[in-house]
Amino acid sequence: MNPSVTSLAHMPKLQAEQLRVLRSGKEVLSGVSFNVAGGEVYGLLGGNGAGKSTTLAAFLGFVPAASGRVVVDGLDVGSDLAAARRAMAYLPEAASLYEHLDARENLDYFLQLADMRCSADEIDLALDRVSLGAEARGLKLRSYSKGMRQKVAIALAILRDTGILLLDEPTSGLDPTAIDEFHGLVRGLADAGKAILMVTHDVYGACQVADRIGLLRGGQLVAQFEAPPGGRIDTETVHRAFSPRAAA
Amino acid sequence: MIRLRVIAGAEWRYWLRSRLVLGSALLMAGLLLATTAVTTLRMQGEAAERTHHQDKAEAAFLAQPARHPHRMVHYGHYVFRTPTPLAGFDPGLDPVTGQSIFLEGHRQNTPMFAPSGASADLGGFSWLSPAMVYQLFGPLLVILLGHGLIAREREAGTLATLLAQGAPGRLLLAGKAAALLSVIVLMSLPLALSAALAVRDGDPPLAAVALVGVYLLYLSIWGALALLASALLRRRTAVLAALATLWVVLTLVLPAVAVSATSNAAPMAGKLETDLVMLSDLRKLGDGYNVNDPAFARLRAELLAEHGVQRVEDLPVNLRGLVAQASEQKLTDTLNTYARAQMAAETRQAIVLASHGWFTPLLAVADASRALAGTDLAHHHRFLQEAEALRFAFVQGLNRVHAEKLSFSDDIRRSSDAQAEARTRVDASHWRLLDRFVFEPDAAGSRLARSQSQWLMLCAWFAVLVGAGAWVGGRLKP
Ligand SMILES: Nc1ncnc2c1ncn2[C@@H]1O[C@H](COP(=O)(O)OP(=O)(O)O)[C@@H](O)[C@H]1O
Ligand SMILES: [Mg+2]
Repeated sequence: MNPSVTSLAHMPKLQAEQLRVLRSGKEVLSGVSFNVAGGEVYGLLGGNGAGKSTTLAAFLGFVPAASGRVVVDGLDVGSDLAAARRAMAYLPEAASLYEHLDARENLDYFLQLADMRCSADEIDLALDRVSLGAEARGLKLRSYSKGMRQKVAIALAILRDTGILLLDEPTSGLDPTAIDEFHGLVRGLADAGKAILMVTHDVYGACQVADRIGLLRGGQLVAQFEAPPGGRIDTETVHRAFSPRAAA
Repeated sequence: MIRLRVIAGAEWRYWLRSRLVLGSALLMAGLLLATTAVTTLRMQGEAAERTHHQDKAEAAFLAQPARHPHRMVHYGHYVFRTPTPLAGFDPGLDPVTGQSIFLEGHRQNTPMFAPSGASADLGGFSWLSPAMVYQLFGPLLVILLGHGLIAREREAGTLATLLAQGAPGRLLLAGKAAALLSVIVLMSLPLALSAALAVRDGDPPLAAVALVGVYLLYLSIWGALALLASALLRRRTAVLAALATLWVVLTLVLPAVAVSATSNAAPMAGKLETDLVMLSDLRKLGDGYNVNDPAFARLRAELLAEHGVQRVEDLPVNLRGLVAQASEQKLTDTLNTYARAQMAAETRQAIVLASHGWFTPLLAVADASRALAGTDLAHHHRFLQEAEALRFAFVQGLNRVHAEKLSFSDDIRRSSDAQAEARTRVDASHWRLLDRFVFEPDAAGSRLARSQSQWLMLCAWFAVLVGAGAWVGGRLKP
């Protein structure tokens, strides 16, 4: 944790303002407001169907805001979609990449679509950072484990080198070592100044890495938690709020 | 635009790795080879048959010794229309219209089919031409390759990853469209090859180029339909089902509906009824063999007055020949009236049927293809008209010889007087007036002009689909 970066962050990188989203006529998000600043990991916590992925989809412009607005790096997503998308890197829930391509081919392709040219060395360096084994890099993704796919997706986010990262359930399906490794990486990226919005249903993981946590239930932000300076958010407190009956 | 090429290139890599293109290419190549072989065999069989008949008829005709000219009127002569080289790609109406006519006096024969052994052997498959492979199977191949363009990525979740990189939806659709278009161009190479060969064999280059162009446009319409369905529907199976249904409707159902709608909207009188009416009309014309038939009394009176003589025998011309001429003229006028009405009815039907091209591009491309290949109804009608003009000129030429070279008194005594009979024979040089008939296929200009409204229909389809694509692309969601 780096207090000097946190103090720099008076200008939020991600803002949701009274965000309402309808899906198939059903209100999925009802007036959600929060922001994420540079250098900060914001954990959006919630059960299945709480509206976490929908919140990310709203930032990405995949679903329109029925009312309220989402702002990315000062750009209103409703009116400046292309620029907003260029400002973010997104890690989808299932690390959706091409199965018929290998790691390098995947990265090369998506980077070109992001209008970026990265050298083979830069790509290998990013794959080093996420510690994807060298022998795996030439293999098609269809032979990868979920963790290995996740690493390629994170490498893409790193290479995109955007100030903002959206992560959808990035640790689900990973083994504990991989989760620790991943949290270390996320923390490092935040400390380097990136704004990170991480969606998860893992209370322990969120408390381990997030500076702030928002609790989403039934499309509403019901509670927010903030880490004390130099410390961590208390897992017990969050857990009680997350599932009151289980805790009682 | 670099990203457009990158997207199209990625699609190609997918196709190659999934062997989809290879399989499809083999399928298409197989179908084209088979149909080209069938069509070529049929045409060769017909050509051989035609040449055989022509040579035989011509030899028999020219080998005739000195004869009474009217005998030659009945001897008659075959004329043939050689199919255009492009008919090898699209035989169009050729297999149902026939390409040879027996020309003789007193009647207009309908064209016949060269009874080709080849087409009989191939049974039901002889109707399947390379053009039909493009019209029917081309879209299926485009659907096979195109249905997954977006839906595949949506199902795999990669569409979200793609869009999240900031690549606009329209760019994505354009890149996918470019990939599909490149396949369509590849698919058109065999057609381009047969068009090139047709040009070498004498078809107008412009018509050949337009033919390739019209199929490119047609397949592009299917490409746009496939891409749109792929972008709009969530599941790949749903896209495939929707496109398969669309294919059945546009290529099988609607054309059949159009045909029956046409026969309701522009009905044609039955051939039997028409023939009966025509026969009774012809009977009223008088007997051209009988100079005393009242129908020719005026001609006779006028001639006698003109030459100031009392007896037919004193005329400087043979009244029999003149009556034969007048009779043939009247008969031909009547026959032509019916022929023109028949052609007009056929043309009306063709126009009504063609107007359904606004509803299905299959009809539009099929019409344009026939017009450009020189195998459409208009071509056939012109052949009939030119053959009839030739028939008339030939019969009247013989009748003129009859009138001018034979004396009336010899003519009427020829069955009882051997010497008179000998004098009524004219030698073969008199009936070499039948020049070898050459039917010139339409020039590029008139073929293009006849396919104009089809181009318009296909362009309208394409423009609407491109517009829809731009709209959908701007709203593309994972
Ligand atoms: N494409 C969609 N169409 C209709 N409803 C949807 C769609 N996606 C999600 N939903 C509904 O929206 C709600 C929130 O979904 P989501 O944001 O995916 O939840 P989470 O990510 O928190 O599990 C759920 O009730 C879900 O059923
Ligand atoms: Mg989710």
